[in-house]
Parts: sequence; C-alpha cells; structure tokens
Amino acid sequence: MEFIATVVILTCTYALLAAGIVILYKAGRVVNFAHGEIAIVGGYVFYSSGLMVGDSLWFAILGAVAFSVVMGAFIYAAMMRRVVGEPFYVAILITVGIAIVLKSAIIVVWRAEQVTIDVGVAPAVRLAGGATLSYMDLASIVLTVVFFLALYLFFTFTRSGVQFRGTAENPLLASQRGVNVNFVLSRAWIIAVSAATLSGVLYGGRAFLGTASVTIGLAGLTAALVGGLDSLRGAVVGAFIVALAQYLTVRLIDSVLSEALPFLILLVVMSIRPWGLFGTVEELDRV
Amino acid sequence: MARAGTNLRTSYIEANEVLRRPYQKLLIAFIVAFALLLPAGSSDYFLHLINSCFLAGMGALGLMILTGFCGQISLGHAAFLAIGAFTTVILTVHLKMPFIIVVPVAAVSGAVIGFIVGLPSLRFRGVYLAISTLAMHYAIIFLCTTYQARFAASASAGITIADPVIGPFRLRGEFAWYYVLLTLLTVVTVGCVNLVRTRPGRAWMAIRDRDIAAEALGINLTRYKLAAFMLSATLASVSGSLAAYHSNVVTVEGYTLDLAVIYVAMIIVGGMGSILGALLVATFITLLPYGIDWTFEFLPRVWRFGSTVFGVQVGAVGVCIILFLLLEPKGLAEIWRRIETYFDRWPFRYRPLDTSRR
Repeated sequence: MEFIATVVILTCTYALLAAGIVILYKAGRVVNFAHGEIAIVGGYVFYSSGLMVGDSLWFAILGAVAFSVVMGAFIYAAMMRRVVGEPFYVAILITVGIAIVLKSAIIVVWRAEQVTIDVGVAPAVRLAGGATLSYMDLASIVLTVVFFLALYLFFTFTRSGVQFRGTAENPLLASQRGVNVNFVLSRAWIIAVSAATLSGVLYGGRAFLGTASVTIGLAGLTAALVGGLDSLRGAVVGAFIVALAQYLTVRLIDSVLSEALPFLILLVVMSIRPWGLFGTVEELDRV
Repeated sequence: MARAGTNLRTSYIEANEVLRRPYQKLLIAFIVAFALLLPAGSSDYFLHLINSCFLAGMGALGLMILTGFCGQISLGHAAFLAIGAFTTVILTVHLKMPFIIVVPVAAVSGAVIGFIVGLPSLRFRGVYLAISTLAMHYAIIFLCTTYQARFAASASAGITIADPVIGPFRLRGEFAWYYVLLTLLTVVTVGCVNLVRTRPGRAWMAIRDRDIAAEALGINLTRYKLAAFMLSATLASVSGSLAAYHSNVVTVEGYTLDLAVIYVAMIIVGGMGSILGALLVATFITLLPYGIDWTFEFLPRVWRFGSTVFGVQVGAVGVCIILFLLLEPKGLAEIWRRIETYFDRWPFRYRPLDTSRR
C-alpha cells in the first residue's frame, strides 16, 4: 500500500513536469531543458513569498502564480520569440542557458540552502495496509488530477483551446486565420511554467528543494519522451513508468543507479520505439 | 602575386590557402613567438591557468569537429573527458602502465566510446540525438561513479595519479607541462585545420548543411558521422587523460552535465565552424571564473559572500550562451569576419559578395 502511494505521488510530480514539456514541444517544437530548474525555483519562490508575509499560504500561492506568469511571458517574449526560424539547436541551447542561470539564481538568491516546504497542515491520513498520507500528498494527487482535467477541458471546449491546437498544428495557417500566435505561445509558456512550479512546490513538500533536486527535470523529460513528446496522455503514462522504475531500483537494487535509470529507460525506448508510447510517428525527426 | 581581392579566389591554390590575408601570417608569427616566450615571465599559477586553457581547447576542438562541422549536437562531451580520465586511472593505478602507452590507449578507448555514442546519430537527428547523447552521458558517468565508489581510497577525495614519466624525464611542474601541452595542442590544431579543408571536412560540412543532399552526392553518412563522433571523443578523451595527469587527481564529480554544457557554450560563443573561435573561447570560458573572482575583489565586502561569487561564476556561462544565441548566433567568428570585411571594403560601406563563407 505504501508502495502504491509513493509511486502515485512521484507520478504526479513527474506528470506535471512532463505535461509542461509536452505543451511546449507541441506549441513551438522546443524541448525545454530548463524545466527542472524552473520547477525548483518556482518552489523556492513559493517558499520565500510565504515567509515574507508571516507564513501565509495565500501569499505563497500568489507569489508562485506571479512567478509563473512573469517567467513564462518573459522567456517567450525575450528569448523564444526571437529565435523562430533559427536552426533547431538555438532554442534548445537557450533553454540550457536558462537552466544554468536559474541554477545560479538558486545559489545567489537562496544561498543554495536545502529547504522543505511545510504548509502547516502536516497531520497524516491513515490508509488501509499501513500507508500514511500527509495532506501534502493528498494535495499533490488532487491538484494534479484537477490540473489535467482543467487542461483537458481547456483544450477541448474553449475557444482559446482550439486556437492552441490550431497553432500547434500549423502556426502559419493559424495566424492567417486571425489567431494571435504570439499570445497563444506566450500562454503556452505560462501554462508550462505554472505546471512546473506546482510540481516544484509539491516536490518541495515531500522531499527538499536544492541545487541537487533540479534533476527532476530530467526525469520529467524522460517521462515526456517515453510517453511521446507530443502526447499529453503519454506524459501521464510515461511519468508512471519512470516513477515505478525509479522506486523499484531504489528499493531493490541501488540508489546510485536510480539517478541514471531514467536515461537507461530512455535509451531502451529510443532504440525500440523512438516516438514514444503515444507519440505521432511522423513527428519524429528521423534520419 | 596579384590578387583579385581578399574575397575572390581565382585559382584552386588560392581557394585552399589556410592563411588568406597577409596580416594572418604576421599574427601567427606573433602568436608563436608570444607562446614560446610566455613562460619566461609568468608565475606558476598563471601557467597553471594557461595549461588548463590548453586542455580545454583540445576538448573544445573535438566538440567543434562534431557539432560545428558535422552538425551533430552532443551533450555527452563531459562523458568523453571522463572516459579519458578513468582509462588513465585504470591503466596507471592497476596496471602501472607508462604515460607513453596510457595516452594512446585513452585515445583508442575514447574512439570506441565515441563509436557507441555515435550509433544513435544514424537513426536520429536534432533534438532526439541531443537527448540520446544526454542519456549516454548518464550511463557512462554511472559506470565511472560505480568504479570510483569501489576502488577509490575515499569516495569523496577521488583517485590520485602519479606524475607521468617519459623515459628518463619526470613530467612535473607547470613549466614543463606548458611546452608539452603547447606542442600537442599545436599538432591537434594544425591537424584539425587541415582535416576540415580536405575531403572529410567537406563531407562533414555537407552533412551539417543538408544530410539528404550530402547522401545524394555520394557521401557515406554512416561512415562520416561515426568518424566525427570518434574523432571528437578521441580528442576529448586525450584531453581528459592529460588533465588527469596534470591535476594528479581524478574524481567523477568533475564530470557533470554542466561541464558538457560549458563545452557546448565554448563552440557557440566561438562560432559554429570556427577552429580559432573554439580555441579563443575555450580560453575565455576557462578563465571566466577566475576573472569573476578577481572582479569581486574590487566590490564592496558585503557582496563577496562566498556563495554569491560561486553563483555568479556558474551563471556567467549561461548568460554568455543566451546572449550570444540571441544577438550573435554565429558567434565570435562572425564578429571577426564583419570587422575584416569592413576593412576590406573601406571606404565603401556596401555589403560584399558573400564568398568568404566556407
């Protein structure tokens, strides 16, 4: 039972990250290597803005939301918008640069301290079979489900959701038909950064935030690739596979291996089914 | 000899010249004289920095061949360096091999690993290739971590390596290292310059610019892509092996993904396809942390909180990457070219025929 609970919660963290990576890939064909750093910095912002006004959860949430909007809009407007039409590696390497800058921000601003987010609602819920869930764990499951539900409803039923899908399919045609592509793409970045921040907060609630924890971004990237870079459904399945495999390795084999494990899964998936479990075959940039 | 202008070539001999402009010959002569005399008036610490730059330059040349000329993006360069370093460890600590054997063996093992890491490039390109090299990085680093955990005296301190012995000489001290590394780097640089202007180099550039067209021209993609990966890994591995000897200690903590990113930064800032750019920027980025440290000496004491300096050192590379990609995606080489063109055309300002691009 405890095993299921741990894997489910880890899946939530990775699924949120993977969802952000998938949205960005669909929207602008950018693979975001800075996702883990964005998540952790988001977690730090949540932590600090809560502390600023005397342990207020609402201020923490406000700070995290403000961070997501500003960060997402800034990355798109100041960087990604300018490199449209450049070779593919330019956008990727810019995200790598962002990752480094954010990592240095953790060191400079937060002194690379390891912090755990404690929202003050610690008492746990007992489940049958001896597992305990803290409210943080429950919150992560509920929030992840709500997030994916909202994403589904947004993409399926709203006007802007349709514009999103149109832009993802063919940006040029979408802009010809009056869709404001810049606005859509900057919102894609905002949604992705919000998802990452949420994931960072949840991760910080269970484990700790620090320069070492940015590796969750790579786990999220693996989850997205295993599921298929252009499939939101795949993101959840991929996250589950990565979480399960990681938990089993830590438990049964070796904790050092668990760090390399996402990549071993990745190598296997890429050699057998490079477009991922749910990805579109034509999408793949194959030789 | 009469010329039709620096940008126009009228014969095959001219087209093949490495140094096309008179000032370049002067510059080279000046650099050679400067490099030979440099150690005379410098401190050991300064020479140590320069030696680190030489080692980084050799690694950067390897990545420049792979990414700048062949167009295959790789995030696995730190792993290649690690292969060189750990081959050195295994051969010297367990088998007591001499320097003369260790470095070639490190080169060969680098080539083998490069071959393996290069295999995915036959199926993927672009983002997927970058991610597969990333995966390879973690796989290789995992092996090295396991090795270090098992065989190092203490896992955190790393593994110590004795100074290399060549025949009767013990290679020791920055002064001796300086000339050894200078010689090796010169050989490698001249080799790379000649390689990229002959058949393999032209094949790589054709693959970089359009792989399908290159294949249609009869270029064997499999062979040339793998060759680029092998050469790149070989140079990195030799650089890693020499760095291990130079610093006398090997620890897997030194070969992080960040290091791979730093090497990528070197070739971006240097300019894709510019060997001189790679060397200059390797020097610049190796010295950057020390420069920042030095700058902080002049700032108010409050700012010099230990982690701030370290954080800025980390972040500066990221800022370099972002700024160059946004403002000057072709790197330093392009800035240099623009300056050259300005003087070529002076006093006119119109744009020249774009024939100098290679």
